[in-house]
Amino acid sequence: MHPLIFIAGVTLLGLLFALQEWISSRFWNYHVNLNLLMQAWGVQYFIWGVLCWIVWWTLRPQINSASIKSMLFLFFPLSILVSLCEEVIWVAMFPRIPLGKPPMPFLQRLSFQLDAELVNSLVLFWSAFFLFRGIGYYQRYREKERVATQLQSQLVQAQMRALRMQLNPHFLFNTMNGISSLMRTDVAAADLMLEQLSRLLRITLHRGEAQFIPLSDEMEFIEMYLAMQDRRFAGRVRQEMAVDPRVHDAIVPTMILQPIVENAYGHGLSKLTSSVGVLSIEASSVGSVLRLCVTNSGTGLRPIGTNGNGNGSNSGKGVGLANVQDRLKMHYGNDYTFSISEIGDNRVQVVMTLPLHLAARPIENTTGYGA
Amino acid sequence: MIQAVLADDEVLARQKLRQLLREIPEIEVVGEGATAAETIDLVRATKPDLLYLDVRMPDMDGFDIVGELSAAGAPAMPCIIFTTAYDRYALRAFEIHAVDYLLKPFTLERFRSATQRALEQIKAGRQSPHGDAPKSANGTPYTTRIVFKSKGRILFLPVSEICWIGAEENYVRICTQSETHLLRETMTHLEEKLDPNLFLRVHRSSIVNLSYVKEVRPEVDGEYGVHLLNGQKIPMSRSYRSRIKNWLER
Repeated sequence: MHPLIFIAGVTLLGLLFALQEWISSRFWNYHVNLNLLMQAWGVQYFIWGVLCWIVWWTLRPQINSASIKSMLFLFFPLSILVSLCEEVIWVAMFPRIPLGKPPMPFLQRLSFQLDAELVNSLVLFWSAFFLFRGIGYYQRYREKERVATQLQSQLVQAQMRALRMQLNPHFLFNTMNGISSLMRTDVAAADLMLEQLSRLLRITLHRGEAQFIPLSDEMEFIEMYLAMQDRRFAGRVRQEMAVDPRVHDAIVPTMILQPIVENAYGHGLSKLTSSVGVLSIEASSVGSVLRLCVTNSGTGLRPIGTNGNGNGSNSGKGVGLANVQDRLKMHYGNDYTFSISEIGDNRVQVVMTLPLHLAARPIENTTGYGA
Repeated sequence: MIQAVLADDEVLARQKLRQLLREIPEIEVVGEGATAAETIDLVRATKPDLLYLDVRMPDMDGFDIVGELSAAGAPAMPCIIFTTAYDRYALRAFEIHAVDYLLKPFTLERFRSATQRALEQIKAGRQSPHGDAPKSANGTPYTTRIVFKSKGRILFLPVSEICWIGAEENYVRICTQSETHLLRETMTHLEEKLDPNLFLRVHRSSIVNLSYVKEVRPEVDGEYGVHLLNGQKIPMSRSYRSRIKNWLER
């Protein structure tokens, strides 16, 4: 609180008391000079304001942490001292008061005033004391809350980073192993794979720490990823993609589709032996909801429990899918759905629905026209 | 024989270029520069047709080299293909009319197409690329190529390679023979940039490159469809039909 505001507030309070006294004396048909009343009350409270502020300013930590003992042995004597001080200053400033009595010497007036006002003064002091203490509490509470929210968001970010990290390197190393293998047999293919990997890494690096990206960027990444998978599976998987143009700009958590696609390959498509597999990715909007759907042929993902071995709830899901769900939960609370199900003729479908937010994205312009 | 100079501070990078160029018999490597100063001297001495240039060199960057070479008033500025690990200089490279911008690591295929373009440009007598280009109504020349980022690469795409363009809300999809690219752009803006003698808007949401059009055929429902050489069919809307009629009647 700014000292001027505090002092002005206290002074105003004094002026209101003056007005109240003036009104009540009018009611009893006394005639008191309003101007003098205003001065007396105003000045008294002004002095109080200044003194209290000085006490607060110099003893803030003690006020905030004062025990009963220090209240008794430090602040109680202090309250008397401050009250005395205030009365001394005030009495010196208003020699005409008390009114209606013959002029008195200073000390006599002081003792008269102390008689009448000391208890009031002490009440004033202690009110200010507890007010300040309350403000102190409130400020510390706010500070604590601020730190807590900050910590919370840092924690979430750290978790996110950890989750994302789990997604990238193992794919990276598998690909490098693929390149290492191709190097011996097909240099051109190894070259191409290395180039594709670099492109993927470029996109990933360019995203940096962004938690959310437009769906078009996520799909670009997925297309790259699929191109690499296609090479590995030598055309045995037909890839289909259908993105409603209206959701190109929908905001999605970074790397939300890749683990699902990876899972489709790892658990479903890679186990197909004879027939051509199908992987389809669809994105559409249903009202204010974004629906992402990945369907693959293959038997991989039986709903948990139906395969009967019951060795842990994550046995069929893989770390990647658990991560996806954790991240959705962290970002959207209960405002999302995620389901894996087997739909007819040996197909597995993952459906996610998220709140649909469209990016008003300030585009970094890398498109240029010319000769 | 077309003469080329390779400029890169890394010996392995130069080695790769040399190896790849061995597969292109029309090109003879006349020198290699490991620093900017070396490269400048080399280019002045040998006057090559083509320069493969790294952007980051120890003493100066690739653009400084280009600046130095053109400031000297050398009449024969070589065609430039940038090879770099950095993607952020692409627009600048495009603006100084570099032939292509290869992000390391690049494949033989990508290298070949860049080099092929350079060869065509050199063989065409290195006409000023925008001197006699057709101009739009307000006098600015129509674009002959587009630079953009797609799937972790930088492309300097000649518009002649675009088969057709489809609108997707705030985006356009540029389709070439082999790939499609999603760009944040509007059809109207793109249409203004493209030469109407080469590209025709046949629908609110499609523009076709006329050189890829095989035929325009009425469909069963009485509407017309544009058939491309690659077998794709693009619907045509009534309001745009007069445009294609005009073109057919030429």
